[in-house]
Amino acid sequence: MRWLACELHTHTNHSDGKQTLEELTAGARRLGFDCIALTDHNTMSGLKDRERIESETGLTIIPGMEWTTFYGHMVTVGSMSLAAADWRRATPGNIAEGVAEVHRLGGLAGLAHPYRIGNPVCTGCYWEFEIQDWREIDYIEVWSKTFAPIQADNHRAFGLWTELLNAGVRIAATSGRDWHEQTETDDPLSVTYLGLEERSDEPLTVAAAAMAALGAGRASVTIGPLLTMEVRSEAGRAYGIGEAVPAGANGFEARAQILFSVRQGLWELEPQPFRLLITGSAGTIAERTIEPADGDYALPFPPDASRPLWIRAELWGVVRGASVRIAFTNAIYFD
Amino acid sequence: MLIDRMQTLKPEDSRSHIRCPFQLEQSASKMFIHFSYGPKLLDDRQQARELMEECVERYIEPERRSLVLGSMDRYFPLSNLITVSVDDPETYRGACHRHDPEQQLFLGESASSPGLTKGRLPSGLWSVTLSVHSIVTDTCEYRLRIWTEDPTTDQSAFS
Ligand SMILES: [Zn+2]
Ligand SMILES: [Zn+2]
Repeated sequence: MRWLACELHTHTNHSDGKQTLEELTAGARRLGFDCIALTDHNTMSGLKDRERIESETGLTIIPGMEWTTFYGHMVTVGSMSLAAADWRRATPGNIAEGVAEVHRLGGLAGLAHPYRIGNPVCTGCYWEFEIQDWREIDYIEVWSKTFAPIQADNHRAFGLWTELLNAGVRIAATSGRDWHEQTETDDPLSVTYLGLEERSDEPLTVAAAAMAALGAGRASVTIGPLLTMEVRSEAGRAYGIGEAVPAGANGFEARAQILFSVRQGLWELEPQPFRLLITGSAGTIAERTIEPADGDYALPFPPDASRPLWIRAELWGVVRGASVRIAFTNAIYFD
Repeated sequence: MLIDRMQTLKPEDSRSHIRCPFQLEQSASKMFIHFSYGPKLLDDRQQARELMEECVERYIEPERRSLVLGSMDRYFPLSNLITVSVDDPETYRGACHRHDPEQQLFLGESASSPGLTKGRLPSGLWSVTLSVHSIVTDTCEYRLRIWTEDPTTDQSAFS
C-alpha cells in the first residue's frame, strides 16, 4: 500500500483564494504533499492548466468544487465534470439530490467544516442540510484549518463522525486546511494520507486511485507521523483500514504501524512517550505507550472484549501544552 | 446593453438567488459583466452585536457561547455578500465567489475572468445569477450591467 500525502481542501484566485494554482501547488510541494484537491467555491475554472501544472510539479491535482450554498458547504472531488451539478438548487431538504448528482458525475461528496460558525460571519459555513440517509455521504472533513486537533468546531465534527460510526454508518473522515493563501504559519498542519492499492491488472491514474481510496475509507489523518492499522483474525487473515471483517472471523489482534519518518523535517513534535490506542464502538480496547520512532505494534484484543462494530487507531500526545489527538485512522468495520 | 438593472435588497433577501436571464441574439466574441453593490460593511456596532448574538445562539454550543460573545469583535465589521454565477444556453460557466463589492468581469473565447470558463459565447438564452448569501445592512443596492462586443465591431476596433 502506498500512502499518498494529500491536502483535500484548497482555493485559488478563481474563487476567494489569494493564490494561483501555480503558487498553491508550489506551496504544497514545499510542505511535502503528493497531492491536492482543488475545491474552489462553485467553480472549476481554476483547473484549466491542471495537466501542465501536474507535469511541471509532479504533484497530483484532484479536480473538485466546494458547493458554497446558503445551508452548508459541501466538498465534491474526483471528476472534471462536477460543475455540471447545480449547487444553486440546494435547499435545506434536498441535498440528497445534489449528492446523487455528484455521484452520477463520478465524484465523491463530503461535509466541509460542518460546525464552522455560519451567517453572517461565514456565510453557509455551518451544515444545516437535513440528511435522511448518511450512507449517501462519502466523508466528513472532521479536521479543518491549522492546528486542527484543538479547534472546538473540529471536536464537534469528530464527535459527529464517531456517533455515525456507532450508529453503523460506514463513512470516511478527512482533514482539509481550507487553504486560501500562502502564509507562513507555525501551526501544525494536517495531512490526510490516502492508501493507494497496488494493482497491476488495471492501473489507475494517481488521482483516480486516490479517489478509490477515499471512497473506500482507506484514509489516515495526522499532524505528524503516519499511523496505519490492520486487524488480524485467529485464522491469520488481515483486514486493512476501510475494510470489513466478515462475520465468523474471531480472535483478533490489531497491528498498528507508525512512521515518524514521513515528511521529514516538515513537522515537529516534542519528544515524549506517545499514547497509542485502539478504540471503537466498544470503547478503548487496547492501549500502550510508544517512543517517537518508526515501529510496528501488536495490540491483542482482550479475550473478554465484545465484538465491536468498528475500531480505529489513535495517537495521543502533548502538543503546545495541550493533550491532543495527533493522528487517527479511519475505521475498520466488523460485519 | 443586454442588462442594466438596479435593485435594493434587504436582510430578508439573504439566502436567495436572483436569476437575471437575457437573450443573446447572435454569438459574441466577448461579454462584459459589471456588478457592484453597497454598502459592503455594517458599521453600526450595536446592530452588529445583535446579529452576533443570534448567530452565536444558533451555531455555537451552549458552553462556549459566552467565550465567543466575549471576543465577537474579531468578526467585525460584518459584511454583505452577493456572488455572481453565469450560465450560457448550454452549460454552467462558473462563479465568482469573492468579497469584492465591485467586480468587472468578462467572458471570452480564449480567456475569461478567474472563476468563469473561457470558450465560445453562443447565441440563445443566457442567465446571470446573483446569489445573495447575506445582507446585514438595512438596505443594500446593487447594479448589474451586461453587454457584449460583437465580432464585427471587435475586429474593426483592433485592426
Ligand atoms: Zn467552505
Ligand atoms: Zn473552502
